[in-house]
Amino acid sequence: MTAYIVRRLLQGVVVLFLISAVTFLLINLAPGGPTSAVSLGRTAEEREAVLKQYGLDRPVLVRYFDWLGGVLRGDLGKSYNQGLPVSSLLVQRMGNTLQLALSALALTALLGVALGVLSALYKNRWPDHLISSLATVGMSVPAFWLGIVAIIVFAVQFKWLPSSGIFTVGQEFSLWDRLRHLAMPAGVLAFTLMPNVIRITRSALLDVLTSDYVRTARAKGVSERVVLLKHTLKNALVPVIAILGLITTVLFSGSVVVESVFGWAGLGRLAIEAANGRDYPVILGVTLLVGAIVVVVNLLVDVLYAAVDPRISHE
Amino acid sequence: MAKGIRWKFSGISAALLAGVLSLGGVMAQDYDPNATLNLATNADPTLNPWTPGAVVESNLINTIVFDQLVRYNKKDLSPAPGLATSWKVSQDGLSWTFNLRKGVTWHDGKPFTAEDVAFTFNDVVLNKKLGGQNAGNFSKVKNVEVVNPSTVRFVLSAPFSSLPYYLAYYAGILPKHVLGDAENPLQVASFNKKNPIGTGAFRVAEFVPGSYVRLVRYDKYWGGTPKINSIVFKIVPDPNTQMAQVISGELDFVGVSNPALLAGVERNPKLQVLRQSQNLYYFVVLNQNDPRFRDVRVRQALLYAIDRKAMIDSVVRGYGTIATGPIAPLQKAFYVKDVPQYTYSPEKAKQLLAQAGWTPGPDGVLQKDGRPFEIDMPTGQFGYLVPATLLVQQYWKAIGVKANVNVMEWNAYIQKMFVNRQYEATLAWWSTPPTPDVTPYYASAAADKGNNIPNYKNPELDKLLEEGLKATGVQEQVLTYRRLQRMLAEQLPYLYLWYPDIISVRNERVGGMADINTAAAFQYSSEWFIKR
Repeated sequence: MTAYIVRRLLQGVVVLFLISAVTFLLINLAPGGPTSAVSLGRTAEEREAVLKQYGLDRPVLVRYFDWLGGVLRGDLGKSYNQGLPVSSLLVQRMGNTLQLALSALALTALLGVALGVLSALYKNRWPDHLISSLATVGMSVPAFWLGIVAIIVFAVQFKWLPSSGIFTVGQEFSLWDRLRHLAMPAGVLAFTLMPNVIRITRSALLDVLTSDYVRTARAKGVSERVVLLKHTLKNALVPVIAILGLITTVLFSGSVVVESVFGWAGLGRLAIEAANGRDYPVILGVTLLVGAIVVVVNLLVDVLYAAVDPRISHE
Repeated sequence: MAKGIRWKFSGISAALLAGVLSLGGVMAQDYDPNATLNLATNADPTLNPWTPGAVVESNLINTIVFDQLVRYNKKDLSPAPGLATSWKVSQDGLSWTFNLRKGVTWHDGKPFTAEDVAFTFNDVVLNKKLGGQNAGNFSKVKNVEVVNPSTVRFVLSAPFSSLPYYLAYYAGILPKHVLGDAENPLQVASFNKKNPIGTGAFRVAEFVPGSYVRLVRYDKYWGGTPKINSIVFKIVPDPNTQMAQVISGELDFVGVSNPALLAGVERNPKLQVLRQSQNLYYFVVLNQNDPRFRDVRVRQALLYAIDRKAMIDSVVRGYGTIATGPIAPLQKAFYVKDVPQYTYSPEKAKQLLAQAGWTPGPDGVLQKDGRPFEIDMPTGQFGYLVPATLLVQQYWKAIGVKANVNVMEWNAYIQKMFVNRQYEATLAWWSTPPTPDVTPYYASAAADKGNNIPNYKNPELDKLLEEGLKATGVQEQVLTYRRLQRMLAEQLPYLYLWYPDIISVRNERVGGMADINTAAAFQYSSEWFIKR
């Protein structure tokens, strides 16, 4: 197992290197330039001075190896438009994204699996219909719209929840305050991501429920509770873990839409601002970080497979 | 130096006095000195007005934290005292002497002196290597001399009658004792992103990246103790969310980029919708490097073909007025309405094009010398540009001119249209300080690489622009700039579309905010108060 993990991590490093090279070339090929230099009203003289400060007057390859050298020394460079080290921006934003992502993931996994199980148990009866309608709505409603509606209902109309931000300005740390701020963004994310988990749980469970070994267990007189929790659910979990792995990578790279609507200072917003403003070092920093997250989460998912399903082995 | 010409402040002091008298009505118990004012900005600001890239997200905060030598008069936006109490210009227009306010201190308690002004300009703005934001506005300034601790002299390379206007336009003064030793004073992260030092009415107390910037009142502010305890700028990128927050009372004031968002606000008794103006105009430019557009009849025809009234009604829901030139009506002293108007008339457009030699071709598209009248018209995804461009395309189609619209991502569009000038026609806007001088956007020297986007070159216009810059008295300026507006309306280097209303929504609990426009109101933040 250890050898497997080490091999996968080494492959991951190669993948990250390739990602960095491709991204570097692509963003430099894209038209435009950092907004601090390329914007309406900036004269040619001002523009050239700023581009020179950033070293953008040098050839692309020279810049790439310069940047790569920095990365190997642990220096991701400095943001053009923010003037701060990329690493400090990533750390700040990653912390916020993790809070939101973990809350949304917990909600998605718990509610999604629970509703999926209910759906399967009451197959083609009203709870199943209700849950699948809900899932269809969650799947088709755009997150930004749902976010705005949630704000109008919970913040404007009833004033139960704050409409944006991570905590109340100037307040001492309070868990309750944090949770109130998390409720809407995490809820909206969970609502839009849950349908996949519900569907996969339902169909996987239905597959297993009709399998021979479940029939055997029932025939032996094993209680329905044990059949469900021990025999069925565990075996139905493999596809659910796969989909949760996918959702995790999506969540950890930051949800642009939800972060913008709720003013949540996360990685997604950083990425979109950097892309729009052609902040090359930040774009590369975010890409590397998200790439690393994907590599690690995929590895974790594969390891988890083996843990739940003894037939899968990485030896 | 011959006898100087003094700029008179009698009108201004009368206005100030009236302001003081009306404020006298606000008794101590009428406002809450412990209140917090909640404002919004759309991204992390950079707390240094000259740092490259410090633009819309930073401007309002910087206006509060940093003082400028000059402010706008709250009545008519003419130059009024800020950190400078008075100024005079030499007869030859090449030397401006500013008397600085005494007893002003920086937020760290150190005294403000002429050295700070000299540092801001000589070492920051005029240091070309730094490429400071808006630094190009001061290209005529050679250097700034310290005459004595409370007097500075701006030495110019050419007359620049609009200097005071530009000194009130995002030109905050920086502290020499804090930034003087920095290798690049515009890139000091601890200053720009955490703890800037200004002389303004409020100082930065806390900056939580991505979340908010909290300002608290500066008790030793030279203009008297501010009436609000703190101002919070929340970072709220989504305009819909900003609107929801002003409705729920979480924000006290927001700028509204799209009038469609006003639904639900107009009937709310707690909220006031402000319709103000700014020196801002939308236009279509026709690239003058293309010989087809050098014929003035073609330019006039293409403007006659556009129904600007209908455009304003549909694109900005009526929140705007037809533009006649680069000087907006709010510059009351200079604006002239009595210029050619180009009221919508497709017939006149067709006639003018026929005179210019364009005749209908077999497919309805006009042609000349066998070549169809096709125009390459790129546009960028930003604000109203795309819908407005598509309307212009339709209007031109109706007179037989075919515009090929190419919708691009904003930054890529700027590169193509503005940096490389690879366009034949395009629709954009200029937002400029309320000065009548428009040299940066119209002078031949600014064609191809500066802000003269249409690359329009006209020696007569250059002469007039120079005359305006040389004019020392207001009267002389008025006469020159009226002639200038007439010439521009006849020649149409830009096809003027509309002056948008600048819309904002304000909670009625906020008082003392100047109504003329946001840019001016934020220069007087010490006068704001929150009603009990």
